[in-house]
Amino acid sequence: MRSRGFGGFAAGALVAGAVLWSFATTDVELSRLLSAGPRIADFVGRMVPPDPTVMNEIVKGSAETLRIAILGSLGAVLLSVPLGILASETMVSPPIYRPVRTLLAFIRAIPLILVAMLMVGAVGLGPLPGIIAIAFHATGMLAKFYAEAIDGVTRAPIAALESAGAGPLARLRYAIWPQMAPVVARDTIFRFELNLRESLILGIVGAGGIGFYIQTYVRSFQYDKAASVTLAVIGLVVAIEAINITLQRRFC
Amino acid sequence: MSAAAQIGDLSFFHPGASLPALDHVSLMVPAGESTALLGPSGAGKTTLLALLDGRLRGWRGRVSVLGAPLDPDHPPARASRPDVGFIFQEFALVERSSVLRNVLNGRLGRMSPLRAVVGSPAPRDLEAARAAIADCGIADLAERRVDSLSGGQRQRVAIARCLAQEPRLILADEPVSNLDPARAVEILTLLTGAAHARGATVLFSSHQPDLARRFADRIVGMRDGRIAFDVAAGDLSDVATADLYRETEALPGIGLRAMT
Repeated sequence: MRSRGFGGFAAGALVAGAVLWSFATTDVELSRLLSAGPRIADFVGRMVPPDPTVMNEIVKGSAETLRIAILGSLGAVLLSVPLGILASETMVSPPIYRPVRTLLAFIRAIPLILVAMLMVGAVGLGPLPGIIAIAFHATGMLAKFYAEAIDGVTRAPIAALESAGAGPLARLRYAIWPQMAPVVARDTIFRFELNLRESLILGIVGAGGIGFYIQTYVRSFQYDKAASVTLAVIGLVVAIEAINITLQRRFC
Repeated sequence: MSAAAQIGDLSFFHPGASLPALDHVSLMVPAGESTALLGPSGAGKTTLLALLDGRLRGWRGRVSVLGAPLDPDHPPARASRPDVGFIFQEFALVERSSVLRNVLNGRLGRMSPLRAVVGSPAPRDLEAARAAIADCGIADLAERRVDSLSGGQRQRVAIARCLAQEPRLILADEPVSNLDPARAVEILTLLTGAAHARGATVLFSSHQPDLARRFADRIVGMRDGRIAFDVAAGDLSDVATADLYRETEALPGIGLRAMT
């Protein structure tokens, strides 16, 4: 087909143009690229051996990260319950759930690190901006999940309870909630795990937690200490993943 | 003879449908008896039962249930709804809840609004639920979750929920269409027996003439949204039954205006 041939040519030209433009306008010096090897070796050399004396900071930072994830998740749940109801087709009409869903998509589109930087600017350094950022960022996803949990409920038992004379709150408690509870529990645990993972790096922009120590040590050229903290973060990510797999086996 | 339901010149179109689901239906359902709605799929049986349960809007005609007129534009008052019990074709149970909880759900309309939402069931409600469960022969299943039960057991739970509601009129939509013949006889024996013991009227739909003959006092034949005949069970003729199930003259499938 002619049109398809032209489309393929246009796509190829576009990709080639994009690569050439990037090369031409970015400072990619061959000499710097060649000297990168020794530099990286030197950098890694200064990280080895990791300094084990920062154990206190690691424990303190990890505990703070955990607190940020817990409180941030709590905030997200509290925001997601009303927003999830307002984004559900079952509970409200299109003029309400459509704009709420758009708002949630907008919130999801903002990267967490950007929200954290803005919050550091707004409320200052420490765990508080991290908690606010996690709560805000996680609500975009969690409220959408809650709305889907409500909309995924089978209607027949709700109609049956209505036919028996049960009011709307009684129907919510005995026909809707038992059906959505396992989905809500699973989604909330999933989002908590993401929150914990994402809050590890929040400290890099000054929003509290273990990431704060990586930033501090790198800036003060204490690469051996930075290496210890980085290893701890990797260990935490692996641990979270392992816990998650165990939980999924239990729930599914 | 008093009427549990009185229907005069009732017509109803499902939203967007060009053919009526109910077409100038007039019918009297005698109180204290058992009446069967007999007819093929799409005859309007489910629609008529849902309408009597107060779940359909926008019909024309005169309908009164247990002496109170229904309003075509508004749902019935919530206080009156427990008096009419409904047994759904697909059971409509809460799968993840226990048998006892599902049967107690039938009591929600009889509880005070506060107790229905936040309280625990009163002794009176527990007693009614336990009695209904025992009458349906599922006392040993009371603590089991519904999603672990068979089809026949689920239908017993659905009937127990309806009985716990203490209705004066029981509407049952194809209560045995999902069951094998032996199970179907068991369930209809249970349903009509329990209703009779409580002095409740039963109106059930079925597409099986032999079951209608065996378990109903009156049989109302329905086809294409109209009443074809209304006879005492002993007077049901094979000719009338055959005519009810004759091939439709219209396009195939046009009679399948199933109510969902």
